[in-house]
Amino acid sequence: MDKQTEFVLRTIEERDIRFVRLWFTDVLGMLKSVAIAPAELEGAFEEGIGFDGSAVQGFARVSESDMIARPDSSTFQVLPWRGETLGVARMFCDIQLPDGSPSYADPRYVLKRTLEKAANMGFTFYTHPEIEFYLFKQKFKSGFRPVPVDDVGYFDHAPHGGGQDFRRTAITMLESMGISVEFSHHEGGPGQQEIDLRYADALTTADNIMTFRLVVKEVALEQGLQASFMPKPFEEYPGSGMHTHMSLFEGDRNAFYEAGKELQLSNVGRSFIAGLLRYAPEITAVTNQWVNSYKRLAGGHEAPSYVCWGSNNRSALVRVPMYKPHKGNSARVEYRALDSACNPYLAFAMLLSAGLKGIEEDLPLPPGAEDDVWSLSPGERKAMGLEPLPTSLNRAIQAMERSELAAETLGEHVFDFFLRNKRAEWDEYARIVTEYERKKYLPVL
Amino acid sequence: MTIGQLARTGFTDASRASELLSHEQFDGLTSDPDFVEEFSVAANPDLAVLQLSRILDLESEESAEGGSTEVAVEAGKIRKSLTEDREFRTRLFHVLGASEALGNYLIRHPEAASVLAQNGEDRDRLSRDELERLFVEAVESCICQDESWEHEASYLRIAYRRRLLALAARDLSGEVAFEDVTAELADLADAVLAACLHLAKATLPNDAAPCRFAIIALGKCGGRELNYISDVDVIFVAEPAQGPDGELVDEYEALQTATQLAKGVMKAANEATAEGTIWEVDPALRPEGKAGALVRTLNSHIGYYERWAQTWEFQALLKARYAAGDKELGDSYVDAMLPFVWSASERDGFVDDVQAMRRRVEGNLPADQADREIKLGPGGLRDVEFSVQLLQLVHGRSDVMVRSPNTLIALNAMSMWGYVGRKDAQELAEAYRFLRTLEHRIQLFRLQRTHTMPTDELALRSIARSMGFFKDPVRELDKAWSKHKQTVRRLHEKIFYRPLLNAVAQLGSDEARLTRDDAIARLNVLGYQDPDGALRNIQALTSGVSRRAQLQKTLLPVLLGWFADSPNPDAGLKSFRRVSEALGTTPWYLRLLRDESETAMRMARILGSSEYVTELLMRAPEAVEMLSSEDQLTPRTHEELRAEIESTTRRHTDPEAAIEAVRAVRRRELFRIASADICGLLEVEQVGEALSAVADVTIEAAVNIAIRAYEERSTVGFPTRFTIIGMGRLGGDEAGYASDADVMFVHDPLEGVDEQEATKAAMWVANETRRLLALPGADLPLEMDADLRPEGKSGALVRTFASYRAYYERWSDPWEAQALLRARYLAGDRELGAEFVEMVNPLRYPPDGLDETTIFEIRKLKARMESERLPRGADPARHLKLGPGGLSDIEWVAQLIQMNHAAKEQNLQLTGTLSVLNNAVEDGLLESQDRDSLVAAWQLASKIRNANVLYTGKPGDQVPTDPRALASTGQMLGYGQGDIMALLEDYRRRTRQARQVTERVFYGWTD
Repeated sequence: MDKQTEFVLRTIEERDIRFVRLWFTDVLGMLKSVAIAPAELEGAFEEGIGFDGSAVQGFARVSESDMIARPDSSTFQVLPWRGETLGVARMFCDIQLPDGSPSYADPRYVLKRTLEKAANMGFTFYTHPEIEFYLFKQKFKSGFRPVPVDDVGYFDHAPHGGGQDFRRTAITMLESMGISVEFSHHEGGPGQQEIDLRYADALTTADNIMTFRLVVKEVALEQGLQASFMPKPFEEYPGSGMHTHMSLFEGDRNAFYEAGKELQLSNVGRSFIAGLLRYAPEITAVTNQWVNSYKRLAGGHEAPSYVCWGSNNRSALVRVPMYKPHKGNSARVEYRALDSACNPYLAFAMLLSAGLKGIEEDLPLPPGAEDDVWSLSPGERKAMGLEPLPTSLNRAIQAMERSELAAETLGEHVFDFFLRNKRAEWDEYARIVTEYERKKYLPVL
Repeated sequence: MTIGQLARTGFTDASRASELLSHEQFDGLTSDPDFVEEFSVAANPDLAVLQLSRILDLESEESAEGGSTEVAVEAGKIRKSLTEDREFRTRLFHVLGASEALGNYLIRHPEAASVLAQNGEDRDRLSRDELERLFVEAVESCICQDESWEHEASYLRIAYRRRLLALAARDLSGEVAFEDVTAELADLADAVLAACLHLAKATLPNDAAPCRFAIIALGKCGGRELNYISDVDVIFVAEPAQGPDGELVDEYEALQTATQLAKGVMKAANEATAEGTIWEVDPALRPEGKAGALVRTLNSHIGYYERWAQTWEFQALLKARYAAGDKELGDSYVDAMLPFVWSASERDGFVDDVQAMRRRVEGNLPADQADREIKLGPGGLRDVEFSVQLLQLVHGRSDVMVRSPNTLIALNAMSMWGYVGRKDAQELAEAYRFLRTLEHRIQLFRLQRTHTMPTDELALRSIARSMGFFKDPVRELDKAWSKHKQTVRRLHEKIFYRPLLNAVAQLGSDEARLTRDDAIARLNVLGYQDPDGALRNIQALTSGVSRRAQLQKTLLPVLLGWFADSPNPDAGLKSFRRVSEALGTTPWYLRLLRDESETAMRMARILGSSEYVTELLMRAPEAVEMLSSEDQLTPRTHEELRAEIESTTRRHTDPEAAIEAVRAVRRRELFRIASADICGLLEVEQVGEALSAVADVTIEAAVNIAIRAYEERSTVGFPTRFTIIGMGRLGGDEAGYASDADVMFVHDPLEGVDEQEATKAAMWVANETRRLLALPGADLPLEMDADLRPEGKSGALVRTFASYRAYYERWSDPWEAQALLRARYLAGDRELGAEFVEMVNPLRYPPDGLDETTIFEIRKLKARMESERLPRGADPARHLKLGPGGLSDIEWVAQLIQMNHAAKEQNLQLTGTLSVLNNAVEDGLLESQDRDSLVAAWQLASKIRNANVLYTGKPGDQVPTDPRALASTGQMLGYGQGDIMALLEDYRRRTRQARQVTERVFYGWTD
């Protein structure tokens, strides 16, 4: 038995842990969890826990369904929300085949592969997400409109209870799990919150987002509330995006920074943005993966619908934030299409791939857009060469089907599964008759 | 001296040398004939004389006040020493000729030349502590003059280079052994670190919390085997110290101070000043690498290695050593870490990690650099170091005697205590010294971190001369280098495998003495799944005193390595034992073993890869001889095979005996083709052609035997012309190892013969042919499949030519015309075959192409097949034939093009899929990019199909689902180990792209 196993087992004894949850993520970004008793843990370390991969979205066909979840003991963490008496702990797992080689269906492995590609070009990839979500007063019931927890707006300070307390508790809990929070505030919609995670390498960030979503939901439950990362719960209020700031580092140097250049943006940074723009339509099915995601993109506010970039343009798809000149290392670009309900592993892998492709192909940066794209007329947009992002999941799927970049990044297995699954979602949605249609058509047709 | 004499002295540009030497700086020096002669010791005499002239130029430098400058005075001293001190002169020329960088240093600091003097006070090696004192003095001589450290750091660099100059001079003139050079370089590094630390301490703010601080050396510096120029790997460790009140200060604050110290040390060594940098201090091996804290306490280090560390991190710790700072703390760090190192091999996943590390070490080096590389790649220095460390981790756990951070010392200890043969260890050590010295010489020239041999002839010449090769230097160096590379390339055999034999057999007193348990641990790490069984096989192969056993003792270590690199090492070793037992003492087999040639390597690869070929071999072990030359592994042509088979069948009158002889030939040819395939000598298209040729001549022989048998039974002779038409993949000359032969039987009664009578005879011959080929025998039977005939299974097996014509004129479906696209004469009556082909031509190549309705029908049929033909439960994405983008898609694309255009484009009237696709591009009927996608998918699917048979001995139309089979198939097709899904991934990509083409070109779908 190695020391780490001993350490984990000892901790489990001392902290009276009754269950250990083994976590991994399916292709759609849902957290999966197998709970095992401490007694089984030793075996899990040695041989992994076998499970039926065909039961997990996107993992395997029946013929190769034997899979192994091998807990990564370095991710051992006691979960803080279950109270002290019946302790629960978690570990993230790597998904492997019975011979120990990595499974291409594991989203974590998709991101790892892409990061490796970046590493071979000499880059490390850092991200910093701003995660938005809604808080509601009670449990969701079908047919009832959920009631937001408060009625205030952007940066407002709610006088008591609600979001304020919630954010404090959630942040404390995140910090106790080693996830640093940069910033948090009330967002535009009633009950809408934003919590920004600290800059970290993309893999850690993606892990953290998975933990984050669970923590937020758990804390809400503890306070008798309900949290949701649905991209666009209300027509009239802003959707929940996950604007993500990205940068590439070469060793300790920010590769996007070059003093004296326009916006202090290096050639690497320029090509990276150009890559994001060139490939944006074909990666959108991954960055915005649900039928509902496209209602957010269509809704204006802070959500982008057109492929363009600007330095301080909140309607652009890619934004280059201003920063203090001597802080070269904080140079970054922000991608604004992502929503909070994406699979962070796959989405980060796609963004990174698109950017790297821009660097590889040495793409020139098109002129930036400084106008509010929403206020332009269709003619003006056309004249400026502004292409729209896919306007529906269906369009996004069509763009992705032809994308070599997407296939290469996701790997053929995930690529194939993802498209099949999304096509099925669209087909299902296309058959639904909505309340909107009944209200609009029944009286007049 | 004449120009000719100068040239003989070693100058390559003698006239320029002569001109330089005639300048006035050399007055008074050149008068001594020995002076010019002396340049012959220099690696590069031209460079030496040039640099010397620049030094002497300094003498004329004047200060502002008109007097000589300090530098001029020093240059004058050099001139004086040149005439008075022979030893000084020799050493100076050595340095100037081998190192441009040190020459430039002397031009800037001529005073440093005093270290070269015969009686120079600091000419010889100084102890580490003396060096530390010297460097600290250098730093202190100017400390706190300003905040930038610029001066202090420069002084340190000057002092350091001076010692480097002293060492290089002794090294180049051959006064010190390699081990002493690298140890002295490590001492220098320690002392530099100590001085940097001194400087960092001096600039701490007054109120900084006190701490104890130590620098641990790792890597080459830790092993006291440092290069002239390389990163110095370190780890920083610190503990709180007592504050002014006598209490230990807060740990956090102490670490703050320590972090400042660490940063200071790195800055002092790394930063470029007017005097350049020293080398990079690299703390990347610390816990958590770049992301981790720069400094940790001892307990925090221990905690990390207890919990999180990876196998390679323990391997790195193997070389940990106190270098500078608080010695007591440094020593406790090392004491605390070593137990981790020696228990590393007990950790879970150790074996897997090691395999992965080994692959990385041997892994991808750009091909154009591989043969200029001294360090990386197979047979490089890295491989020696890694292998020695690996063996230490395996055996050092139970044996303290082999624990040493130094490569040469560890190697020596392992030979002394019986883990590696003595002679092998000596040779390896010699090669290691040579390669490292070579690396040193290359680095010295510019004091640059490099381990690639230059390509430029002049640079090579100087390096060779600096290594002591004065006669024909470039060639001699190359020869010596090749010899040592060769030794290192055999490294695994020597240090991993040969000692294994001794665990079960007594070799010689000079050899390793490994226990059985040691051997099992080692075999396991090397990838043998069943080390016990492997040992038993080794024992059987090496026991006894026969010549065979002796030869096998020599060969086995090599074979064990080759097996370890094949998909199934255990099976390879076991099969080798079977071959060896079968072939016993045949002289040519012993010769094969003795020469350990390419042949043996091919045999190892085949035995470790393919059950199919191993079985073929077991039936006729003498076929091993075929592996001895590429010529033998070239598939035989149709004509050669036919000639051999004709003479074989003539010798036998009994049909069954005759066919057995034919099938023995077939067996041998299958072995030949499969072996060439596994050894990578054939493209997949060539395999298809060769297998088709073998099938052709085998069937032809069977038909002839059957007709002969009929004639013997009958009184009137064979009453009809009889021919066999090849169809399907065989018709396209694309047969696989397990393909059935798709055929149709055609006959045409001789004039005046009753048609029924003739048909009966033809039927008898057809059935007899099939029976003969399907007889159970020592090889896989050859099944004939006639399902493509008119009316399929319900139709008559044999028809007359006229009946075929009538049928095709009246009834045929589009699919039948399509199947005929691959019809060609196969065996029997050649003329009738040609007539048949002539007859079906207008059918398969319709003069006006296909009409819309027919195209529509064909597309519909294909779409239906895609959903219906797939076996139940099969995963379409993995079905090589019927899955999307699989073989059938590609064939149908080619066939649709043929039916539409072959009447006009003669070059499309072919049966092979790939030729049709290629010609369609020529005719402008297919985009070349689309052709590439189709061809790539076709080739990969065909290769996997072949590999399935080779690996398992059974046909399979799927990409294997069993992970082990998938891994082996991948490895046979050249995909690396340890990533079993890579093949699947590649297959999916190629077929997806081929499917896109199919949808566009065959189905006519547009976006």
